[in-house]
Amino acid sequence: MVSQGRIFALLLAAVTIVLVVVGTVWPSPSAVAYVGGESLRSSTSTPEAVVENLGNDIRDQAWEKAYSSFANKAEFTEPEFVHDLKGYSPGLLTYATLNSFEVLPIHASAKEADVLLKLHWSTIVGASVTTRRVHVVRNGDRWEPEWQIVKDPSVPPQIIPVNYLRWDVIYRGSEDDWGAQDVESPHVRIVDVHPVERAEGMMVLGELINEDVVPAYVSVTATLLSKHQSVIATEGSFDKISHLLLPKQVTPFLIRFPDVQLSDVESIRMTPLSALIAASADPVIEIENEQLHPSPDSSLTGQLANQSGQIVNVAHVLATFYDSAGQVVWVADKYLDHALLPQAPVPFEIHIPEDLSKKISSQRTVVATYSFGGYQ
Amino acid sequence: MRLRQLFLIISLAVVTMQLALAQGLNMTFPRVFKAGNSFSIQSSGNGKATLYIIGPGQVLKRDVQLGEMIFFQSASLSNSGHYLAVLVAGSEKKSGTFDIVPSSQPAELSFLAKPSRLPVDLKGGITGAVYVFDAYHNLIYTPALVSFELSSPGGSMQTKVLLTHDGAAWTGMDSTALQGTDRFVARMGDVSETRLVQQVPGDPCGLKMSAQQSGQQIQLATETVYDCRGNPVTDGTIVTFTESYHGTLWTVDVPIKRGFAEVEMPSINGAAISVASGIVLGNQIEWKR
Amino acid sequence: MLKSILIFCLAFNTVSSFGAGQASVRVEPANLHGSRPLQEQTETAVIRDYMQSWESFRAALEQNSALLLDQDFVGTAKEKLTDTIQQQALLGVSTHYMDREHDLQIVFYSPEGLSIEIVDKVQYDMQFLDKKRVITTQRMSARYIVILTPSEVRWRVRVFQTVPE
Repeated sequence: MVSQGRIFALLLAAVTIVLVVVGTVWPSPSAVAYVGGESLRSSTSTPEAVVENLGNDIRDQAWEKAYSSFANKAEFTEPEFVHDLKGYSPGLLTYATLNSFEVLPIHASAKEADVLLKLHWSTIVGASVTTRRVHVVRNGDRWEPEWQIVKDPSVPPQIIPVNYLRWDVIYRGSEDDWGAQDVESPHVRIVDVHPVERAEGMMVLGELINEDVVPAYVSVTATLLSKHQSVIATEGSFDKISHLLLPKQVTPFLIRFPDVQLSDVESIRMTPLSALIAASADPVIEIENEQLHPSPDSSLTGQLANQSGQIVNVAHVLATFYDSAGQVVWVADKYLDHALLPQAPVPFEIHIPEDLSKKISSQRTVVATYSFGGYQ
Repeated sequence: MRLRQLFLIISLAVVTMQLALAQGLNMTFPRVFKAGNSFSIQSSGNGKATLYIIGPGQVLKRDVQLGEMIFFQSASLSNSGHYLAVLVAGSEKKSGTFDIVPSSQPAELSFLAKPSRLPVDLKGGITGAVYVFDAYHNLIYTPALVSFELSSPGGSMQTKVLLTHDGAAWTGMDSTALQGTDRFVARMGDVSETRLVQQVPGDPCGLKMSAQQSGQQIQLATETVYDCRGNPVTDGTIVTFTESYHGTLWTVDVPIKRGFAEVEMPSINGAAISVASGIVLGNQIEWKR
Repeated sequence: MLKSILIFCLAFNTVSSFGAGQASVRVEPANLHGSRPLQEQTETAVIRDYMQSWESFRAALEQNSALLLDQDFVGTAKEKLTDTIQQQALLGVSTHYMDREHDLQIVFYSPEGLSIEIVDKVQYDMQFLDKKRVITTQRMSARYIVILTPSEVRWRVRVFQTVPE
């Protein structure tokens, strides 16, 4: 009995020693990372591995480590790399975190390779994807990435005269003073409503106009009613609308009902809401080179140019697509992940569902802008 | 035996006194008082009593000496309503009802005027309703004449004089063809309430732009934008310029400033340029360099 | 709107120890001198809210609790009833109202939709107590002029006043 116990103890000790040796000679990546050593993340044996390391460093915001891995780091500084990634001026990506990334090899030779790094950011308005092409070069027995820095366009020193036009609102106050006058809410009108059924559920599309002479903060709510006039669901336009409408400005809106079939709906009750809001008539944004691209990869592309002198931190492009009869068939949007500098065009691309692209014969695009601290 | 007789005598005396009081307990007062006015109630009987005046608008309780005039100074009862007066002396009670009616002198008008902003030249677009109250916030429900006046900066005036029904009167007025801020006044006697009604331009009418070369760009500018009544359209109104060339578009939403909208767009030979504001379309230009 | 006379029989819960029962409500066809048409839904809501205001009124004056007025009264009507409740509390008295019959008619709907005026001939019992001793119980009748104004979710009584019959 005693001898069996000794044999078992010796066996246990031997296995432990073998495992320690194996772990030391061929350590697991996570174990190496814990003790602060090089990990598989730091493997430089393949182009994909070094780009994966770079993705991990960006996700961990390990800027110094990412910067030191570049073969061409002499061409730019670490802050320039960070600004290139997250924006020189505060924008959508400035406060975003990298949720995940994909590494997609394009081509490789013995000395160099090109790899796509697709970065999935979590931003304040939802997910945003940016794609960077990373050139990877072989340096001895290791691969090193090269970062193609994209510097922000420099705006030539100049004075841009802006005749400011601004509306401020003084409300009556909260006390109950029956019959006392108050400022009227802006008059807005829904000019088009069109329900559509998609694989992801029912949607209500349309357009809203501010008919008034003052700016309006707007939103739209749709209530679906059944044949028995009971309420099926109520949803709002959320961010698929330009909430600030200047006088005579038109915005599209899209309201999603993910779990509703169009056949269940007898009627739709639309409720446009409007409120007075202090606003500025600036900035003026020009939409340049706007083009509809047919399928495959049907999309709307163009560039936004900020014609004003101040930086626009977040730009939201909303496009309304019409069929040949002028009826709204789709509404799509895109947030630009970088700030709009004065006079510097920034490209945008809005994807259009393939099945709808054939129906689309024209489009109308509006841009909603947000500037940190407001336009004063 | 003597004790019983004494108790019987005392009991009879009390009953007799109460009967005497009951026969004498009374009060007289008018059926109607004006709110806020002083008034009196004449009581009769002997001894002390309590007077209650009860209504949804006010409750009073006062110890009184029967046989005297009970005086209520002005503003003692100011809320219009139907009241019950109860005079209580021991187990005896006397009650009666009276009404407090509003003063006929108006002191306050609740003037509900809508809208505060509307397009020019709209028939019956402005409405005003008025309720008339006295100094104690009682609704004056007896018919009375109220005048409504709408005056525009151009000097035009619309006036209507109406009789109130159950304390209320209303009217409809037209907005004039000229933009500006109108004064809408409701008046009854010396009391008046004023509301400001902003008449704003309507949709742009005959929207027209012109184009000229400006370096590598085209300078596009509208003429001064007017509505169909000749009022300049409000600054800040959005004008959309669209340039199209072989399926490629350039679009800018520009606010009108100082009466017109202007913008620079790419100079492309053969491009079609159009202008619009809201649902109103303007002219179209085919650009030739 | 121009439907025949409606008879509503609404059951009311009452905290009063006297005369608990139902008030009959008779609604005459509206006789409007305003320009704004009265939708049936609006009419129903106004009458419902007005009748509920009587419940609040009864409870508030019986319990001397002005808080009970908050839901149904606003402006002058609320201020005046609150004053009455404070006077009652100070004097140690209370009033129990029990409405028996309402014969009401909408007479004005202001064109901007911000007020409705009702005339209501009410038969009611009133019991007055001083230090919980019943001083008097009376059957009374009065013609009320009531102005209601819309709030977020209901019509609330702004003017609540009687007129000599």
